[in-house]
Amino acid sequence: MSKPNKARVFSLKNTAHDFVWLTGAPVVFWQRPKIIYTSEKAKEKIRGGALLIANHTGIYDPVYMMLGVPYRRQFFIISEEVMDKPVGALFKACRCIRIDRNNPNLATFREIIARLKSGEVISMFPEGHISHDDSTSQFKSGMVLMAVRSGVPIVPMYIKPKTKPTERLTIVLGERVSVTELYGEHPTFAQIDAATKLLYERETELSGFIN
Amino acid sequence: MLMTRQEILDKLKEILVAADSGNKAITESCSEQSRLKEDFGLNSVNILYMVIAIEEAFGIYFDDVGVNSFSTVGEVIDYIEGKLR
Repeated sequence: MSKPNKARVFSLKNTAHDFVWLTGAPVVFWQRPKIIYTSEKAKEKIRGGALLIANHTGIYDPVYMMLGVPYRRQFFIISEEVMDKPVGALFKACRCIRIDRNNPNLATFREIIARLKSGEVISMFPEGHISHDDSTSQFKSGMVLMAVRSGVPIVPMYIKPKTKPTERLTIVLGERVSVTELYGEHPTFAQIDAATKLLYERETELSGFIN
Repeated sequence: MLMTRQEILDKLKEILVAADSGNKAITESCSEQSRLKEDFGLNSVNILYMVIAIEEAFGIYFDDVGVNSFSTVGEVIDYIEGKLR
């Protein structure tokens, strides 16, 4: 069981993260996010470490994820290509995690595990890229290994792609999935693939909760 | 006592069979020249999984390696052997 996040209200290392969050607060009013929970269990607040996953159809998805779970600080796993752009400095200050998608290294993986174990919420897009046709591509299985090694649940979120900027943001939050409860602490490769498939199915089911 | 390369290979086979029983025949007949991605069909997550399992089984700590750091079983054995010295 992961420890709860002790740095709830203020923490020096999260100054940049919190500054961005506060200055972006008006976005909440602009987006008027409508959050749908698939069940009472899905409505339970996320406490302690968790891996938050969502579909990825646009560059604003990280903002939408933050609006979906506003009571927790979220730290994103971001590809090297994005981190190397000027905006990467801001992401780095916000303690986002840089990942080399072509050659993921052990140090990055260890950092993610340690931060999940310490009670942080790490957010990611398991498709690994933006899907421009609004569909959800197959998931990569790295998230399952991260969840297994840290013992945290995976929380699926669906962000409804917007057809126009003024459209109200709609987010669906599903029940958390504990891979260790399903397959134990040492799943086989086949079980990791099965868990990845299950999460993909859960993610695609979420879109059905809109209307 | 230092392990021989054959002992390391046998232990690696045990780790791989436990993680991927579907590939048992391929794993048990593998040699130092066997390629991780092409012959075993391992992806980047499988390799990270294997590295962690090796750390636990051999009691060693891998430095910052990437999934492309090893291409054959022999290279993994070289690394483990170096760490066990």
